[in-house]
Amino acid sequence: MLAVFLKELRSYFTSAIGYIFMGTFLLITGIFFTMYNLLSASPAYNNTLQSLITIFLFIIPILTMKIISEETKTRTDQLLFTSPLKIRDIILGKYFAAVAIFTISLLITVLYPLILSMFGVVSASEIFTGYIGMFLLGATLISIGLFVSSLTENQVTSAVLSFGVLLFIFLIDSIQQALPSTRTSSIIFALIIVAIFALVVYFSTKNIYAAVITAVVGIIITIGIYIAKKEAFDGLIQKVFDWFSLIKRYNLFSQGVLSLNSVVYYLSFIVAFVFLTIRMVDKRRWS
Amino acid sequence: MENVTKRYGDQVAVDGLNLTVKKGEILGFLGPNGAGKSTAMNILTGYISATDGNVRIDGIDILENPEAAKKKIGYLPEIPPLYLDMTVEEYLKFVHRIKKVKSDGIEASMTRIMSLVKILDVRGRLIKNLSKGYKQRVGLAQALVGDPEVLVLDEPTVGLDPKQIIEIRNLIQKIGKTCTIILSSHILSEVSAICHRVIIINKGKIVASGTPKELAKKANNSNIVLLRVKGAKPDVYKKIREIQDVKLVQEQGVNEPGTVDLLVEAKDDLDIRETLFVSLSKAGFIILMMKSKEIDLEEIFLDVTTNNKGGGM
Repeated sequence: MLAVFLKELRSYFTSAIGYIFMGTFLLITGIFFTMYNLLSASPAYNNTLQSLITIFLFIIPILTMKIISEETKTRTDQLLFTSPLKIRDIILGKYFAAVAIFTISLLITVLYPLILSMFGVVSASEIFTGYIGMFLLGATLISIGLFVSSLTENQVTSAVLSFGVLLFIFLIDSIQQALPSTRTSSIIFALIIVAIFALVVYFSTKNIYAAVITAVVGIIITIGIYIAKKEAFDGLIQKVFDWFSLIKRYNLFSQGVLSLNSVVYYLSFIVAFVFLTIRMVDKRRWS
Repeated sequence: MENVTKRYGDQVAVDGLNLTVKKGEILGFLGPNGAGKSTAMNILTGYISATDGNVRIDGIDILENPEAAKKKIGYLPEIPPLYLDMTVEEYLKFVHRIKKVKSDGIEASMTRIMSLVKILDVRGRLIKNLSKGYKQRVGLAQALVGDPEVLVLDEPTVGLDPKQIIEIRNLIQKIGKTCTIILSSHILSEVSAICHRVIIINKGKIVASGTPKELAKKANNSNIVLLRVKGAKPDVYKKIREIQDVKLVQEQGVNEPGTVDLLVEAKDDLDIRETLFVSLSKAGFIILMMKSKEIDLEEIFLDVTTNNKGGGM
């Protein structure tokens, strides 16, 4: 894993990607810091951090676009997958390298609150929590980018797709407010999810019976829950969307609240997407 | 390999391949494009998995214990898996690391491999600036890392110039003294020059196998002689037809003024060269050239892959 990690880390700096990522990140952080903290003489550094999230939307896809797709395209994956390394180690090595680049950039920005502390009182614990939240959010978004990169062998497709997914995650809070919260709409929503699930089963197994069984079981469960507990369907859409609202969770950190709940939430997101990536890469070798 | 099958949807790429390679053998895979050579090699090296069947390297199943089995294999795919942004040295060092070579042995092993494939002079250069021949050699170097017992080479000489082809071939023969090599090619002269045993596959199935000589012999079951005789065509033709053991005479046109070229086939696998010489010279015809026509691998290959009749060979 270490060999892959070091190789990836190096490749960020032998290509332009590492420089573009760090350069953009640091430039915009600097601009925000100057505007929000220096010019307006405000010690509220967490607000600056929070506004950085918008940049993630644009630079995380750059960081992750070639992470797996490039290997597939140049066939260097043949070297990796015929070597005595586990796929898990290869993917983890790549993931940690991207996270390392992100972490290095983030650590450089620690200079800013230090500068602020020279002129007044800043809450160290609050900023520390803000940074932890920032790190977790970034690492989660990178894991999503990693997964998207494993879906395609074209870097541009990978970048655009990651951008789309991240944009959706950013807008999820605004979208859910516009969605209906009645019971009927929730049931329709549940059935759509069952249908999508059945389709996924069909396309991955090519077995119509398995898909039908999945659909039937899904419908039975939905009806069962409806009979047993009608109020579970109130605002179901909102609840589901809420689970995926990565940004909302970040706001807690930004306020200086370090809750274990949120840390576990982000970590489980990361584990899930890294795991999905490993499965995806593995599956391609089986199909 | 036992009964290895690979399906892509309804498409069968490799169909029930059974194959055993002995230690120290150089085995050639021969087949037209799309015959399933690369797929078979990808399965063999554990890059992709077979839909059916088992692959065992030195008794280790590649699915049950991939790490141990892959340690025994060096693989050079059709497109060498090179990181273009690295120098040759950095690249080989990385390969050593992922192949889990002990770190204190890396330096020595790198120098040994680089001098073996003659890339010491480009060790500090970026791979993307190397010529095709050098890239291929770096690819070969990569496969040699970790002293694999089995070397799998997918079309190792494709796209190289004749001098480089000969160099790579010599190299393969040299390496072949210490380990088992499986190589694929669609160039016949190459396979017959290096390999101890040749397997011809078409449409995912083995259609012929044996040593290059055996294959040539099997196909060469009739004795055919090519003649160039001084004299008028009808006279020569008539004279040859009179010889008892001749089964068939075919004209081959006139390549030299005043002579005639003929292809003579003997009955029952007889050697008719002496008879031809004696009877023709008795009749006053002068033989300018006589050679027995060997059917080479090229023809076996075409025969086997186009008609697909050669299943019994």
